[in-house]
Amino acid sequence: MIELQKVCKNYGLTQALIDVTCSIKKGEIVGFVGPNGAGKSTAMRIITTYTAPTSGTVKVGGFDVLKNPLEVRQLIGYLPETVPLYADMLVSEYLEFIGQARHLNGKYKQRYDWVVEACGLQSVLKRKIGVLSKGFKQRTCLAQALIHDPDVLILDEPTSGLDPLQIIGIRNLIKDLAHEKTIILSTHILPEVSTISDRILVVNNGRLVADGSFEDLVQEVTDRRSVYLAVKSPKKELQSALGSLPEIQEVVFDEKGERGAIGCHIYTSLKTDVTAKLNELIRNRGWDILEFQQEKLSLEESFIRFTQSSASIKKSSPPELHAEKEGGAQ
Amino acid sequence: MKDTAIIFRREFRAYFYSPIAYVFSVIFIVLNTSLYMFHFFFFGNADMRSFFSTLPLVLGLIFIPAISMRLWSEEHKLGTVELLLTLPMKTEHVVLGKYLAGFAFYLVALAGTWTIPILLVILGKPDFGPILGGYFGAVLLGAFFLAVGIFISGFFSDQIVSLIITSLACGFLVFIGWQYVPMVIDGWIPGLGEFFYKYIGVTRHFNDIERGVIDIKSIVYFLSFTALFLYLNAKALERRKY
Repeated sequence: MIELQKVCKNYGLTQALIDVTCSIKKGEIVGFVGPNGAGKSTAMRIITTYTAPTSGTVKVGGFDVLKNPLEVRQLIGYLPETVPLYADMLVSEYLEFIGQARHLNGKYKQRYDWVVEACGLQSVLKRKIGVLSKGFKQRTCLAQALIHDPDVLILDEPTSGLDPLQIIGIRNLIKDLAHEKTIILSTHILPEVSTISDRILVVNNGRLVADGSFEDLVQEVTDRRSVYLAVKSPKKELQSALGSLPEIQEVVFDEKGERGAIGCHIYTSLKTDVTAKLNELIRNRGWDILEFQQEKLSLEESFIRFTQSSASIKKSSPPELHAEKEGGAQ
Repeated sequence: MKDTAIIFRREFRAYFYSPIAYVFSVIFIVLNTSLYMFHFFFFGNADMRSFFSTLPLVLGLIFIPAISMRLWSEEHKLGTVELLLTLPMKTEHVVLGKYLAGFAFYLVALAGTWTIPILLVILGKPDFGPILGGYFGAVLLGAFFLAVGIFISGFFSDQIVSLIITSLACGFLVFIGWQYVPMVIDGWIPGLGEFFYKYIGVTRHFNDIERGVIDIKSIVYFLSFTALFLYLNAKALERRKY
């Protein structure tokens, strides 16, 4: 549906995008992730025809963004980062203007009702946009992007400024739309990307540094697996028991155990699965298990890895794992 | 053309959302009428010569820049330009829609000076030729200045900057049509002043029309410059992409 071929974009001397090539299939939800100024918004602006690439080709639904911009625009619903709204208009007037500009004609009434419902705008339709809260502004703008039922949705930071409940609402809306639409969204909130997107593109300094599912990305930056175990047992016994398993590379004990238990992170190589053996060991000793879980590298962690000069870090320093429960904060 | 109408409707309505438009229209009407009244009572002529002779300055320095400044500068500031230029519309149509909205607003304000001809009819027997010619010239002049204004507005996200630069540009077009200004310029670079006066300056053409001498050259001058600046505006906006 969306094809980028060796896309470069220069703003004067700064290179905003360097040689970006990727292809996004119909129906995919793709998350753009990267630090501020990485080139996420630039890439989105190029896809939506707002800016032109310095070199390279971009096609949306088979149409070239430079040669057939109007056809491309027809296919796309776009929520820019700046949340472009006319402060003096009423919400209903604004949507009517967009509906006309998008040439909806007869379909307008039906689409309008749908979008108002989906974005939860019933209560503010007759209010001036300028006096709305950030959340309502964001949703009005989202409604604008959805009103013509576009095949492709480009959402630049769709949940910024929303409260947690609204974020969940928008997330669910995006998931509902996912079956029929191709969606690209960018965000700083990493857990959000991993919950919504099928695929994550990490952009850094204008380059595409990683492309894959959440699991792929995590695997790419980590070279060992981790299990967290908390049992009721004397520390020394546990230590010696774990020491008897040759698969285990390293054990890191918690500072303090909860309710008399001892917790530890157990690291093994990526290929070996030590859970069965641990199970057996604990059962034989008759210890009580309080916690026993596979630890995943958080997206934050992999994000940091990718956005620092990725190649060198992978080899030199051993990865320090964070449990997802710890790293889940935004 | 349908797209132009859609943009026109929104833009024209937008003028009435903010108080700035009302304030400037009132200033325009009051300033013009009072300047005229001063002259009218002094000389007691039943014509509108003095009205039309001050019009280029009032239009070029104050009123047209005030109308045109928001056309693109506001969009740049609000970020709505990103929305507007990713709608499935040609940039030319968007430019034309915005321009016509500004132009329509100008016509409304110009129509607000109707009290003067009515007054003249009541008090004397005015010759309607020069009055109609004057209004016709004012329409053409406003159209030209507005095209300059929308073009300049496309480059700045600050409305005040757009206003001042448009003011300077229109002021320049008026001043170089005054006979002694080109003479001074000719003193520095021979020929340049005359070139400005003949081909660029607005005053000579406006005065011709206002006197009732409707020369096709003057009409071509106004219309072609208007079209040129509108075209340049669309091209400049497209150019921003690169």
